[in-house]
Amino acid sequence: MSIQLSRPILVPVAASLCLAALVGGCAGNGKGLDANGNPIGTQSSAPSSAPTTASAAFQSIQDTVFTPICTRCHIGANAPEGLQLDEAHSYALLVGVPSAEVPSVLRVKAGDPANSYLIQKLQGSSGIVGVQMPFGGPYLSQSTIGMIQQWITNGAPPATATASAALQVTATMPVDRALVDAPVATIAVGFNEHTDASYLNGAVHLQNMSAAAATVPVMIDQAEANPATVLLTPLAPLGPGTYRITIHGGDRTALTSVTGDALAADYSFTFTVGIP
Amino acid sequence: MSKRWVAALRWLLLGLWLAAGCAYGEPYLAVQTGLKCSQCHVNPTGGGLRAPYGDVFAQTALPATKLDTGPDLWTGNLSSFLRIGGDLRTEALATEVPHSKTLSQFELEQARVYLEAEVIPSRLLVYVDEQVAPGGALNREAYALYWSKNHDWYVKAGQMYLPFGWRLQDQSAFVRQASGINMTTPDEGVEFGWLRGHWDAQVDVSNGTAGGPVNDNRKEFTSQVMYVESIWRMGMAASYNDKLGGGRGTYGLFAGLHTGPITWLAEGDVIDDKSQGFGAGRMLASLVEANWLIARGNNLKITGEYLDPNRDVSNNGQTRWSIVYELTPIQFAQIRAGVRYYDGIPQSDTQNTRQYFIELHGFF
Repeated sequence: MSIQLSRPILVPVAASLCLAALVGGCAGNGKGLDANGNPIGTQSSAPSSAPTTASAAFQSIQDTVFTPICTRCHIGANAPEGLQLDEAHSYALLVGVPSAEVPSVLRVKAGDPANSYLIQKLQGSSGIVGVQMPFGGPYLSQSTIGMIQQWITNGAPPATATASAALQVTATMPVDRALVDAPVATIAVGFNEHTDASYLNGAVHLQNMSAAAATVPVMIDQAEANPATVLLTPLAPLGPGTYRITIHGGDRTALTSVTGDALAADYSFTFTVGIP
Repeated sequence: MSKRWVAALRWLLLGLWLAAGCAYGEPYLAVQTGLKCSQCHVNPTGGGLRAPYGDVFAQTALPATKLDTGPDLWTGNLSSFLRIGGDLRTEALATEVPHSKTLSQFELEQARVYLEAEVIPSRLLVYVDEQVAPGGALNREAYALYWSKNHDWYVKAGQMYLPFGWRLQDQSAFVRQASGINMTTPDEGVEFGWLRGHWDAQVDVSNGTAGGPVNDNRKEFTSQVMYVESIWRMGMAASYNDKLGGGRGTYGLFAGLHTGPITWLAEGDVIDDKSQGFGAGRMLASLVEANWLIARGNNLKITGEYLDPNRDVSNNGQTRWSIVYELTPIQFAQIRAGVRYYDGIPQSDTQNTRQYFIELHGFF
């Protein structure tokens, strides 16, 4: 293989870079803008029904939609469908997590708002189980739903992460000691960092405490586009009984994040599946 | 100079550049060879299963070295009526975001299987493009396509990628993200295609939901026209999605040029989405890409991109530069190594990301 840097080659390369700069321009200096690129102190072009400070970023959606509106119901151990939408839990239980009502559809499918159950529920689409959200209305304006759609289209990125020294569990679904109706098809565990997938199968276990702590066969994977959330999918939906999830920590086989932070000690939680 | 004037100047320069035929990002192979997409792909608008010519090209012209397989060449034929193909991409990726830890990961990007049943030879085919990993199976394209006797027009119906601009391999390119028309957003509908002489044109009517559920009778209308010469081509595309809450119009110009060892691609798109609140719907995205064929099987790809996510706001532009080396050492195997450099407003960490990757691409 021979490489020849002749003038006829260099000229068009240089020309392309110049032209790209002309066609493309430069990155903005951000003067007068907030972290989402919106003008500071100006009213957005949103209709008056929409929160004026919202933008298509997760933190903004949390602050203007989930926290003030959705957490009226979706909070705590008895959150509908196990979906807690307070700031500490919402992202982990939304992005890449199968919906409880239609498990074949993810609550938020990054990059694909039309196939995200969150959007379908907010729009009252024909394929949903149950009713349009927020329950009983008033429903979100199209511009607000559009903002959430845009966030999903953008890949549903999380809020800016904060540095941490250890891997920690931030959310579980079901929550610890919850009583949930059968069948349970998916269990979700959220972490503060992206987990290292290579540790999952050895570090995460599901036991049926009502059957002599027998290990329940389960598929373990990271949520789509959200490797900070781990999904456990039993090979058969869980029937009535008490179950315990244990995530191993504290030694060399502990669950570890992709940056090498290990879970400091075993973490476990239990839930009971009742007859609906 | 106001932003409007700067934007106007950019478009003028782009127009002059295209009009003058001067020098200006996998469709580069079509521009490099002077062929239409349908020459190498079953899909007349490119991407997915390679046609027999594309399979032969991938074994003979693309790799640095062709491993001897005797007189037989893979053409995907399972029988005289049934053909198969596939793509697998897996990568090691490191992502740097300011004020965050560098994230490195191995990632199976995608494994896809293509199947073509030519139920009436040269006239009627049924095609399926299925993503089989990661995660569960996901249908990308599934359609029936009827060709006219002379292959100068066709009708396609089912789920398909919409024709709009360059069908780039990099789905995260600004022009593909901003336009919303890319290889992750197939739609259900019908397409009429017209391919005669130097001309290549399509008209589509689709649901406008990117394959998602339909809630109303509104539709998306997409059209693309391209003129193809042996060393250059240019085209224009338009799409209007009559969405609830306001329509979304997407309009683009794109061109390609082959100069010596370098193949150039350019695209500029403007988007006006009235369904988006908060002024987020008026966008502009552009791309210029140079592919330098250093030696057979060795391609250096340099791409410059610009995104204005809201044309009503100043100082919010974003750029993205990519340098990718593509080595195709043997037939059906490619190694791609590169860096992507995002530059945006300083108060947004995610707009100032760096990505470093090595990708293995296997295909057949």
